[in-house]
Amino acid sequence: MFAQSVIARGAAPFCLALLLVTVPLPWDSAIAQHPTGHHADADTTTLSWRMPSMPGMSLMMLPGMAEYRPDITPFLPGLGLDPMNLPRARPREVATLGEGDTLHLRSALVRRTILGKTFTMYGFNGQYPGPLIRVMQNTTIVVDFTNDIELPTTIHWHGVRLDNRFDGVPGVTQDLVPPGGRFVYQVHFPDAGVYWYHPHHREDIQQELGLYGNMLVDPGDSTYYSLVHREEILMLDDLLLQEGGIAPFGLETSNHTLMGRFGNVFLVNGEPTYQLSVDRGEVVRFFLTNVSNTRMYNLQVGGARVKAIAGDIGKFEREAWVPSVVLAPAERYVVEARFDQPGTYALTNRVQALNHLLGEFYGKVDTLGTIRVSDRSAVPDYGVSFDQLRANTDVAADIARYRPHFSRSPDFELDLTIRVGQLPQGMIQYMSIDTTYFPPVEWNDAMPMMNWFTNGTNIEWLLRDARSGAENMDIAWHLPVGEVTKIRLRNDEDAFHPMSHPIHLHGQRFLVVERDGRPNPNLVWKETVLVPVGSTIDLLVDVSNPGKWMLHCHIAEHLEAGMRMIMTVEDQSR
Amino acid sequence: MRTAGRSPQTIGFFGLFAVALVSGPVGHEPDPPEIYRFDLVATARAPGAIGTGLLNLAWSPFGVAVSADGFLVYDLALTVERVIEPQRLGPFTTYVAWIATPSLDKIEKLGFLSAAGKLETQIASWNKFIVLVTAEASTDVERRTGPVVLQGRSPSGFIASFQSHELFNLMPH
Repeated sequence: MFAQSVIARGAAPFCLALLLVTVPLPWDSAIAQHPTGHHADADTTTLSWRMPSMPGMSLMMLPGMAEYRPDITPFLPGLGLDPMNLPRARPREVATLGEGDTLHLRSALVRRTILGKTFTMYGFNGQYPGPLIRVMQNTTIVVDFTNDIELPTTIHWHGVRLDNRFDGVPGVTQDLVPPGGRFVYQVHFPDAGVYWYHPHHREDIQQELGLYGNMLVDPGDSTYYSLVHREEILMLDDLLLQEGGIAPFGLETSNHTLMGRFGNVFLVNGEPTYQLSVDRGEVVRFFLTNVSNTRMYNLQVGGARVKAIAGDIGKFEREAWVPSVVLAPAERYVVEARFDQPGTYALTNRVQALNHLLGEFYGKVDTLGTIRVSDRSAVPDYGVSFDQLRANTDVAADIARYRPHFSRSPDFELDLTIRVGQLPQGMIQYMSIDTTYFPPVEWNDAMPMMNWFTNGTNIEWLLRDARSGAENMDIAWHLPVGEVTKIRLRNDEDAFHPMSHPIHLHGQRFLVVERDGRPNPNLVWKETVLVPVGSTIDLLVDVSNPGKWMLHCHIAEHLEAGMRMIMTVEDQSR
Repeated sequence: MRTAGRSPQTIGFFGLFAVALVSGPVGHEPDPPEIYRFDLVATARAPGAIGTGLLNLAWSPFGVAVSADGFLVYDLALTVERVIEPQRLGPFTTYVAWIATPSLDKIEKLGFLSAAGKLETQIASWNKFIVLVTAEASTDVERRTGPVVLQGRSPSGFIASFQSHELFNLMPH
């Protein structure tokens, strides 16, 4: 069975009406010429499928496939509304909250200007990203949420080990919040670190259009982190634009289902150019979150020395110098950088991209921002402490309690694979001759035409229980609170189109103890792990939180195409 | 690129190659996925020799290790067996492994093979590559001069342009 759309469930009649008529778009059709030639004759004044261009792809269209379009309805939120009548979004604000405080959060259409063009997008409280929620560890807050977008939604508090009732998974922990509806969340923060909130319904649309925000949980222990001069909280995103505006989404289900929706404009905290000015010798702690639908990052901070401090849910056993910071979708990392010399440091994403059509790799560098370092010396001088790599004995001691479980056999095994439905024969042929090699990690949209065409009606991504054969939401795992369980994830390299998957487990924490039989030398508590193609990863889960918890791929389009399951944790003391 | 195993280690070298000559097939554990292994194929200079290259994604704090330029970092393990003593090929004392681009415009020394016919190293700046094993006069050589006895191609080296495929020309434009 292929995943069926749920987008229209609960959608306002207003929304559907917009989709059933041809509505002039508020952009200039004079820029309709497609740089790669295909689909250049499409009418850009109406909502239709036109494949967006991808940088670096000089020859994208396979012969005989020029007429293929996703066989679902194109959709753009707010279509037909004049964005000038929408409130202009503003940069995010910090919401510092104490125990029991309430944050009123509202999702709504906003007007955004990116690279000189105006777009209709979404925002929480009219901000991009959403408000930065700052709390102390072990605080509980209330979030009174109102949904004023035309789609139903929920909010998921990613990485937070909170009460299951407030996890924000529609159909599992709550009903969808319809347009105009409201839901009150209680969010408790047991762990220090950086987390994020986002919709858990049609993320491929809602997250892409700006519905995300960070939560920074300050540790109770003032020595938890080293002393730094400043903290920067960055959300890394990419937005897919085409001539005239935002590339349409699928109404019934997502398209870009093979590889996920890669953007062609990078955004840091919602802006295409990140700017920071610091003094010479300044030490900056960066809290990084990858909120992209599917893109991986290999982030470099100019020539600055960078050390890895913490991951999704806490610090590493040992800090480590790193040449770059690698982030899969939904992952967070905390790193510290020192800017020793005056000048300009570029914040770049450097990857080895792949063009499947030409069978070639190519280096690709995108500049996300700049850090300008003045001649003035930073005061005080944290150079000595920065030069030290901490060994976090508290983290190591915590993890030591789980080491007896490291070598045991897995309790559960999941295969990550795909089922392909009705695709055009030409596409099947091309893909079948393209199976000689798939890279362990996908850094770019290496086959953009095929990817754009595929959708939830012809592609189903699968989690398959290796022992029962059950798939996705038919998998039934039950565990008692207090258990330590080992889950083995295998990314099937023999699948029709294998791809790396960032697998996220809600409401719990885990250790990545092994990859391909080799132990992880520097552990950290996490809840999202990248599983490269062909790799086998063993997770040790600290089953501490009762409830029905989703495990899924955090590529938004893979989640929409079915790649999700539930792990039920039972509190047997109740 | 960081390399390992370059220090001279010649004691028992020939004898152990002889032992390798009669040992069983390479590898006794289940084969790793195809994208993480490649065969080393003997040339006419070393008939009967066999070998494998195993690629393991190196660890980093972020899971997979990636270089600053975006290359995946691999722990590469080469194993060769049934190779004759190098001096039987000429004035050679050892076998050295090299890594090169498929077009051979860039070639680097990986290191010399141990007496057991093994080399473990790390590579961090290669997408598609070939591995050559040559007989050399010394473990210290910096340039390949001896004959190639084994060669292999990375799994990534097998992806090719669609444009050359017959299907590409058969499809209506």
